[in-house]
Amino acid sequence: MAKPRIGIYGLTGCAGDQLAILNCEDELLDIVNAVDLRSFSMASSSNPEGEIDVAFVEGAVCQQRDLDELKEIRSRSKLLIAIGTCAVWGGVAAARNDIDREKLKEKVYGPSGSFLESLPVKPLGEHVKVDLAISGCPIEKEELINSVASLLRGDLPLLVSFPVCTSCKMHEYECLLVKRGQLCLGPITRAGCEARCPGLNRVCRGCRGPVDEPNAASEVALLKERGFDRRDIINALATFAAPAEKLAEQIVGKEPACQSAQDASQAEKE
Amino acid sequence: MRIIKLKKEHLRDFVGSLSAFGKLYAPQARGEKSFVLKELKDLSNLRLDYRRTILPPKKFFNRPDETILNFSSDNGYQAAADANGGRRVLFGLHACDIKGLEILDWVMRDGYRDEKYFQRRERTAVIGVSCEPDESCFCLAMQADNVETGYDLFLSDVNSCYLVTVRTSLGDDMVNANQELFQEVGKDTIEAFKKKTHAHARKLDDMCDLSVSQMPELIELEYMSDIWKDYAKRCLSCGSCTMVCPTCTCYDIRDEVELDQQRGTRKKRWDSCFFPDYAAVAGGENFRAEAYSRFRYRYLHKQDGFVAKYGRSSCVGCGRCIEICPAKIDLRDVIKSIEGVT
Ligand code: SF4
Ligand code: SF4
Ligand code: SF4
Repeated sequence: MAKPRIGIYGLTGCAGDQLAILNCEDELLDIVNAVDLRSFSMASSSNPEGEIDVAFVEGAVCQQRDLDELKEIRSRSKLLIAIGTCAVWGGVAAARNDIDREKLKEKVYGPSGSFLESLPVKPLGEHVKVDLAISGCPIEKEELINSVASLLRGDLPLLVSFPVCTSCKMHEYECLLVKRGQLCLGPITRAGCEARCPGLNRVCRGCRGPVDEPNAASEVALLKERGFDRRDIINALATFAAPAEKLAEQIVGKEPACQSAQDASQAEKE
Repeated sequence: MRIIKLKKEHLRDFVGSLSAFGKLYAPQARGEKSFVLKELKDLSNLRLDYRRTILPPKKFFNRPDETILNFSSDNGYQAAADANGGRRVLFGLHACDIKGLEILDWVMRDGYRDEKYFQRRERTAVIGVSCEPDESCFCLAMQADNVETGYDLFLSDVNSCYLVTVRTSLGDDMVNANQELFQEVGKDTIEAFKKKTHAHARKLDDMCDLSVSQMPELIELEYMSDIWKDYAKRCLSCGSCTMVCPTCTCYDIRDEVELDQQRGTRKKRWDSCFFPDYAAVAGGENFRAEAYSRFRYRYLHKQDGFVAKYGRSSCVGCGRCIEICPAKIDLRDVIKSIEGVT
């Protein structure tokens, strides 16, 4: 069987997921041997393009250039896999989609930024069909390697879909929410990280994005009951997954979570 | 059976001596307000004032996540070496947790007997210690306030000493190895023990206003009730309650292949009936697609189906799920709602 042709691409983001791939030091050679690596912008300067079997794409769509590249990759790849929370959920860059793009450009770059074609930040799935999502900020090495190994067999990988609390319990960490009254997003955040943050006495900030059926309304209610203000809660929820409709819908109705953060801070001031 | 007395000043010496019978595990502090059963490396870390540990003792027998077999194209399937199969002593278990292990045994024995589980169980000594209940305990309603089997030794706190009940020959060996630490039980101690036992029973009774008689019938009758939906609005499906439950046994099996496609492992990991994909099957169907049906299922199983099969609920009233639920869902409230007594 011919080796699958693979491409690894980065749109706007910190390139942390490509770096995570490079960091698979022990397995990197095995990966490279098992596939026909056509493109890996971070690792190589000569990248023959053309038809490929699997495209791994990190980063969010923030500018017209990203969108053009994404559509181009999609058009020549059999499978497209979103890697990293930016690609899957929009990530940190999407946290302030509520600010008008022109104003934002002006504020950040001044007049010299006028040529940038900035778009509201969106995950890949809002623009093209995504066949598999591997979230994480950055992605977990184990999930990536398992995914590649499964794909080589022609299977879609089984990724963890349960919440961080479950992992946190399996490791028997003290619950920061229940025992210390801290603002933890573990109950509605997808695990796969082995509850790394609670294990280090830090709350879960939701960096892997929400589980498939997050009960955000209950999470907000229980945090409010513990004395947190609504704005802080919604800002926390919006940090990594602001465009996630399923969060927003349950909190305030239809608009994106960052919009509700804006409303909440407005209400606070009034 | 034999009952002897251990003065509290000799407790440490006795506990220290137990490592001759296996790796010693005992309750110790974790974080700011929690406890865990872990290897006791320093006797001064022993905390017999604990109320409940985060995870129950089931974690020693059914590991949260472990490799059960390895496979390769050359050697086929091979059982994974058991890193948890050595001799162990669990010191300081409360009655409810000992009852929980007994219930776990029934489940692991029936239908398909889990040999690995029983190998681990057989190599593990259990030493119980009496407890002080807190507001989340309701063992009395679940008939787990007292155990007569399931342990090698049981230490009952009687003021300045412990009454030590010896149940098994292994327990006897543990005592005989330390003859000099024990004494005969005198009349005063017997009187003090009676008083303590009575006071403990009174306290449990005062704290626990729960009755579970006819729960199976009531749950069946209220199958379509909105009560489940009301609670499910708060439930996060976070799975915490099932992870920490001493008698929840569900697990999931998955195969992981290596990049070379020649080798792989089969892994077993705790699962929860609260997860949306728990009852999902091939073809995209899901028998419990709605959150409320999953919330209800936990009660259907523990307080109804289990009773039908084993004559008692699988809940031992340890209070872990109550203490740990981020949404503050209290199983006792759910039961009372079903009974219509709230
Ligand atoms: S610390 Fe956070 S992730 Fe861990 S159990 Fe508590 S709420 Fe869940
Ligand atoms: S711990 Fe509470 S919120 Fe989490 S699944 Fe159990 S009942 Fe639901
Ligand atoms: S259902 Fe709750 S109280 Fe009952 S045994 Fe399980 S964790 Fe303990």
